[in-house]
Amino acid sequence: MKRFLGLRMLPAGGLIPLLLLVCVIVHAAGNQLIEGSLTEALVYMVMVVGLSVFVSNSGIISFGHVSFALVGAYASAWQTCCPGLRGVFMPGLPQILLDTNVPVVPAALTAALLATAVAAVAGIAITRLNAVAASIALLSLLFVVKTIYENWTSVTAGQGSLAGLPLYVGRWTALAWATGAIIVAQLYMNSANGLRLRAIREEYAAARAVGIVVWRERMIGLVISAFVFAIGGILFGHYLGTLAVSIYWLDMTFLTLAMLVVGGMRSLTGAVVGTLAVSAVRELLRAVERGFDVWGNTLQIPQGSQEIVLALALLLILVFRPQGIVGDYELGVSPPR
Amino acid sequence: MNAIQLMVDALSLGSQYALVALGIGLIFGVMRMINFAQGDLIMLGAYALVVPTTADVAPPLIGKLPALALIVTIIAIAAGAGILTERFAFRPLRRREADGATLLISSFAVGYLLQSIVLFVHTGRPKSVSIFADLTRQMEIGGVRVAMIDVVTICVTVLLLLAMLVFLRWLRWGIEIRAATEDFTMARILGVRADAVIALAFAIAGALAGILSLLYVAKTGVLDFRMGVPLAIAGFVGTVIGGMGSLVGAALGGLFLGVASSLLQALLPEVLRPGRDAFLYGLVIFVLLVRPRGLFAGRNVGERT
Amino acid sequence: MLLEVEDLEVRYGSVPAVRNLGFHVAEGEIVCFIGANGAGKSTTMLALAGVLHPTRGDIRIESRSIVGLAPEDITRLGIALVPEGRRIFGGLTVRENLVVASGLRGGIATQRSMLDLIFELFPILHQRFDSRAGNLSGGEQQQLAIARALLTRPRLLVVDEPSLGLAPKFVELVYQTFGQLRANGMTLLLVEQSMRRALSLADRVYLLKSGSMVLHGKATELAERNDLEHIYFGGVATP
Repeated sequence: MKRFLGLRMLPAGGLIPLLLLVCVIVHAAGNQLIEGSLTEALVYMVMVVGLSVFVSNSGIISFGHVSFALVGAYASAWQTCCPGLRGVFMPGLPQILLDTNVPVVPAALTAALLATAVAAVAGIAITRLNAVAASIALLSLLFVVKTIYENWTSVTAGQGSLAGLPLYVGRWTALAWATGAIIVAQLYMNSANGLRLRAIREEYAAARAVGIVVWRERMIGLVISAFVFAIGGILFGHYLGTLAVSIYWLDMTFLTLAMLVVGGMRSLTGAVVGTLAVSAVRELLRAVERGFDVWGNTLQIPQGSQEIVLALALLLILVFRPQGIVGDYELGVSPPR
Repeated sequence: MNAIQLMVDALSLGSQYALVALGIGLIFGVMRMINFAQGDLIMLGAYALVVPTTADVAPPLIGKLPALALIVTIIAIAAGAGILTERFAFRPLRRREADGATLLISSFAVGYLLQSIVLFVHTGRPKSVSIFADLTRQMEIGGVRVAMIDVVTICVTVLLLLAMLVFLRWLRWGIEIRAATEDFTMARILGVRADAVIALAFAIAGALAGILSLLYVAKTGVLDFRMGVPLAIAGFVGTVIGGMGSLVGAALGGLFLGVASSLLQALLPEVLRPGRDAFLYGLVIFVLLVRPRGLFAGRNVGERT
Repeated sequence: MLLEVEDLEVRYGSVPAVRNLGFHVAEGEIVCFIGANGAGKSTTMLALAGVLHPTRGDIRIESRSIVGLAPEDITRLGIALVPEGRRIFGGLTVRENLVVASGLRGGIATQRSMLDLIFELFPILHQRFDSRAGNLSGGEQQQLAIARALLTRPRLLVVDEPSLGLAPKFVELVYQTFGQLRANGMTLLLVEQSMRRALSLADRVYLLKSGSMVLHGKATELAERNDLEHIYFGGVATP
């Protein structure tokens, strides 16, 4: 079923059933811990797929996407969090937000739209810069947004935590959103815009020569990417139930970037595979940190080893296999000649 | 707040940022890579002062040594760490002709690795440490009381910048670094050893990190595994504003950032203060757009697409 | 044989800029590469210097293969390249430019005699010793570029397009310099667009077109051919 309604449906057509299979297996196995990790992995997958919409197609590394997650998560909280107590935590919110409780899905969508607006505004500048400068600018965006949110205590509870977000992100919900993210990424990839952005990535001069407007294609990619990534951030907040600005900062930036790079920076398959691979390794390390019995001895590594292993793994991949696990490969799509 | 106090505060912060920016600028010049790990070298140098322990209170280790030995040792440790990161992380990448994006991510990864190691060894709880306690005293300048550590920071920075100027203009290695910053390939064609120049840049940047860690810890007295991040950010912003590829520009950019930051903090009305950082980081984007070579200009940075 | 190149192929991405190229330079010779823009001359010179890596073929200095060596090591073995466009360090002074080049052989202090030679050949460099190199004129920069290369004590001096963008008086000076250097025993490999110039100075000439060599021989013999322009600009060489 390579084509459906005339649209190319790979690799999404392969990835989605794969994820479904994984979920079913885990569900059948019935292990609570693994189920939790899988849900978290699926939430991260939304983010990493969103990241890859921009990074894979444009070739520009973004250190700033977590700012979209931050904006989205808080915007969702403004609409759904802690009914009755919202005004206590965030007194600065406009009355209409304090009074209304929006159902979670529309809240998520509107929140992601706000994040997208931020991306669009920042994009006015960012899309006109060359690749390295754009990466630097995106990093600066992260600092700017973080600083604003940290200090805007009346609507964000500042550096403190915000508890009471509705916990609606279970395994199947996460899977549904991940599926949606993959479909969006697939549609963009197939589209003329996605094609043009990749053309810019491959042959900058030639692309311009045939009339492709660089800043516009980058803007479209950035905006879609921001929307999806923001959804991921929103899901994360509702998975944890609490928000803090510090969650949406360097750890998340590093983790999502690592997931993408490990899987393969240049493809959607890479985004999915990388997320699963890194999540699996993290889960394994978490298990070993807790300690388990092997032949009568307890195998245990100390707390905090996880991050070290992750950083080392990323460095090793960058040195020895910078194209990631899957390289340029897309599931089910034959490589370009 | 008196004008002299204000100036001393501003120049002190500006000095710190100038030193970080110089470290970042040096490495960017020869490698065209922003080394986010520079801030974490500062953190490493600071943590070397105490015994590695997960306990809440860390007894001094190198912090126990007499002043001169302490200074030399910390500088050596930070410089050594810098050289190690070059040797084991960045050189393999260079050998494989890694592109700019890969280098950028890897410097991020190295920084994260250093933070994770320190987190592992020391835990995330901030620890206090006291060195050069005398410097926390105040002294009088023009009838006004200022913190001695601030004055020392400014003086040390001035001396370091002068030393760097002499090094870069009069010593062959310094001239080679400037040549490599301007046109790395041509320098190699003339016989300059790529590995040596880059290792030297890392060593100097590491030494600068070591010195800054001493000044910083003497002033704040606190260790935290994330303490390098705001400094790296400041250094990175300063380098971009001042001009990537220009060493003088980087130092000036850092100075400007510190002074502006400090003055804004003191002079802005309370309500606008949170906007200060956002404004300064936002300045990066503005500068990149309008004057990509930086405010204080620089040589050809050789950007492609 | 000082330099031997065999079956060289150099690519830009997937496109070969130079194909099946073979040539040699004997000690004491002046050899010239001529050809129009895009013929592959500069690519070949960059490959000699180790800046570009050949995908096929071999480059040997006195029977020792140098393919894959770093540029700084190749310079140590005695090949000095003065690249197209000169590439002097504009932000450094003339003195500092020379200092950088002197590092290879022990630093400027030990290069007294070479410096004297340089000032003799190019007195302007002595006058402008502390001027910013970026402020020099094109011709002066070319002299500086050659001076820098000389400081690395090459056995083979490779100069890519020495006359490009220079006023006639400087071109004369530069070519006189080549003559003097040869008289002092230097081996030279030059890249030129001007056939007339190449034939007047060189011992042997190679003509390149679209990455391959189409003609070679002694300058004296080639000068007598009347189909050279025809070959240079588009025709096929009949031996």
